[in-house]
Amino acid sequence: MNSARVLYHMVRADFLERLRRYSFLLTLAGALWVAYAVATEEVWIVVGNGYRGVYNSAWIGALMAICCSTFLSLAGFYIVKNSVQRDTDTRVGQILAATPMRKDFYTIAKTLSNFAVLACMVGILMVAAVAMQLMRAEAHSFSLWKLWAPFIFFALPTMLLAASAAVLFETLPLLRGGVGNIVYFFVWTAALALGVTGLDDPTGLQLLYRSSRQTLHAIDPTDNNNFHFSLTIGGEHAVRTFPWNGIDWTTNVLLIRLGWIAVAVAIAYTATIFFHRFDPARSWFKRRALSAVTPPASAVQESAPSHNLSAAHLSPMPQPRSGIPFFRIVAAELRLMLKGKRWWWYLVAAGLAIACIFAPFDAARGGVLVAAWLWPIFVWSPMGSRETRHATESLIFSSPRALSRQLPAIWSAGVLVALFAAGGVGVRLLINGDHHGLAAWFGGAVFIPTLALALGVLTGGSKAFEALYIIWWYMGPAHHIPGIDFMGTTPASSSPVPYLIATVLLLAAAYWRRRTRMAYA
Amino acid sequence: MQLAIENVSKRYGRGNWALRNFTLQLGPGVLGLLGPNGAGKTTLMSILATITRATDGHVRWNGTDIASNPDGLRATLGYLPQDFGVYPNLNAVEFLEYLAAVKGLDAPASKRRIDELLNLVNLADVRKRPLGGYSGGMKQRVGIAQALLNDPQLLIVDEPTAGLDPEERVRFRNLLSELSGERIIILSTHIVSDVEATATDIALISQGTLVAHASPEELLRRVEGKVWEWVIPSADLNAARQRYLISNTARRSDGVHARVLGEKPPDGAQPLTANLEDAYLFCLTKYRAGTVSPSIEAGVVA
Repeated sequence: MNSARVLYHMVRADFLERLRRYSFLLTLAGALWVAYAVATEEVWIVVGNGYRGVYNSAWIGALMAICCSTFLSLAGFYIVKNSVQRDTDTRVGQILAATPMRKDFYTIAKTLSNFAVLACMVGILMVAAVAMQLMRAEAHSFSLWKLWAPFIFFALPTMLLAASAAVLFETLPLLRGGVGNIVYFFVWTAALALGVTGLDDPTGLQLLYRSSRQTLHAIDPTDNNNFHFSLTIGGEHAVRTFPWNGIDWTTNVLLIRLGWIAVAVAIAYTATIFFHRFDPARSWFKRRALSAVTPPASAVQESAPSHNLSAAHLSPMPQPRSGIPFFRIVAAELRLMLKGKRWWWYLVAAGLAIACIFAPFDAARGGVLVAAWLWPIFVWSPMGSRETRHATESLIFSSPRALSRQLPAIWSAGVLVALFAAGGVGVRLLINGDHHGLAAWFGGAVFIPTLALALGVLTGGSKAFEALYIIWWYMGPAHHIPGIDFMGTTPASSSPVPYLIATVLLLAAAYWRRRTRMAYA
Repeated sequence: MQLAIENVSKRYGRGNWALRNFTLQLGPGVLGLLGPNGAGKTTLMSILATITRATDGHVRWNGTDIASNPDGLRATLGYLPQDFGVYPNLNAVEFLEYLAAVKGLDAPASKRRIDELLNLVNLADVRKRPLGGYSGGMKQRVGIAQALLNDPQLLIVDEPTAGLDPEERVRFRNLLSELSGERIIILSTHIVSDVEATATDIALISQGTLVAHASPEELLRRVEGKVWEWVIPSADLNAARQRYLISNTARRSDGVHARVLGEKPPDGAQPLTANLEDAYLFCLTKYRAGTVSPSIEAGVVA
């Protein structure tokens, strides 16, 4: 079998596996939502002094393609960053590892399969772009090339970059889990920031900026100073339009885009270096778990059998008590949450908790609190999905009152973590008599673990919370933006009421979903 | 103590029926649930363990429908699923303590019980080692220990010896026999020798239907005089397989010794003492050929 055929079948099998999952439908629904948001001008580009392009083929194509290469390169990464893990979980990886499969074939195949999933989303937006121009009818001339060229040269290379980054992150032990989800967000932010510095960024924003600025300058030379360009969600719409006929796809421009494709290929090949080929001995986490606690001599030995014990020696057990203290289950869940964390994790958590008490108040509320409630993100993120991930559902769901006691116990443990992590700020707000601030702080303390629990139960994984939380944390509390600051980091922070209401709704959703997974409540 | 399974059926979505009108009455003892892959054993176990709900029919525990009071059964249920996981960062003691809390067990009593169980399943010396470093067989033994945590009156074990080495397998069989006094144990497996060693009753299941429910002795009686040893040349083996039900073969210097099941012996065949595997194959083959009525067979001992 030739190499191309091997590669084709590896990509095909992986792609079909994803295509037939419900999550793929959600992915497509997300792409349609982006198309809708652009069509209804929820997302738009404002240039110069309140200008936007006339909705002709070039502008619509560029706008939608930029949406793809910015928003979908972030969301898409989280969507596709599970292909290697899935092979590990399903143990298909071990079968593949026993074949003559080359490591570079595997990482390239996974990259292409990731890319195929993301390209489907781009494809939907390409079709939506046609529909959008026909519906808006703002410009009468229609050019499929001008409409779709930005998708081909902006969006697809960016998707390839996200696809290859997902494979690289999955092969790097440190970035395989939740840390990688957070690191990617900052890598993505940095990549967008490249455009601001005037360099050609992977998304194509800088190219669009230069082209639109040039065109607008010819129409309105006064607008050249302090030229403004932003991709905006919501807000006031542009009042003036200018005709823009698209980017001139010169050789130089195409080489720049080709350069990003080369970067993506290089990333995929770099992943080959770190790919463990499903060798358990090369699993960093497993090695660490074993070496940390196991005496070397007994590490690989089964326990020796003893023959003098029998079931007759077992003590009788009293029947389970319905009145077993709830705190015992909470304590058990809390121990489960915190087990496995390293000493330095506790050290940092303790440092932040102490800083919440002793740091100057404004710093404690504004900066330390933000950090203190980011640090336990990996304590919260497995909430609600731990049973699915570790296949313990059948053990727990066959226990008495599993729904009415275990789920609230998980939630209570998560809230306790939030209270311990930043309790100092709450106490100081109480002492200061700042009841509004205290309510906002408390709203954050219950909202964060509730969000984690609900997303865990609803999605069956921790990634949705990790991705959503880090983005929200960065956009809201970290920048103290009123309205989306759910931690109450400043006196001007939004009212806690929406977050308390959201907490109740999310709890109800988690309960409902868990209830549907159990045969009997 | 009684478990009544009454006309239980289970259909997944709009697909095939995994169970159809399954009826069985159980009292104390070990029921060996035998059947080929995909027969519906795990579906039945899941229904009995309150993990999944039957599409039709009822399961009654001491007269109470488990649909109306699942916790009544769960409080006294020990369940070892076919596929289960563990939390890799916890050690065996911590994992069992966690499950004891979730099951609502008394703390001091469960602590003592955990110590005893870990000794019983030979994990005492690795009790402080994270479960992530355990082998498959060791994890299976943790599963056995958790199933016994609450001293269950109904113990359901689904393929419990999968992954155990021969020594541990024998120990587990002995353990089941010791536990079988005043409780109902349901042992689901496709390994006939496990059932042979422990079961007081056997239920044969195929295609979601109860094929037979009888004591091992009764099943053996049914195949008595129908097992033969037939020595044939190697070259004739394929042709013999076409004509007779052959359960086993062994190559010897005088040819292939074939174990043949049938009403009439092949020419020159000598009678053999039947074993449970013969009975299992015989009943299943007759059922598939449509010559055994499930209702009659089910009524033999029940």
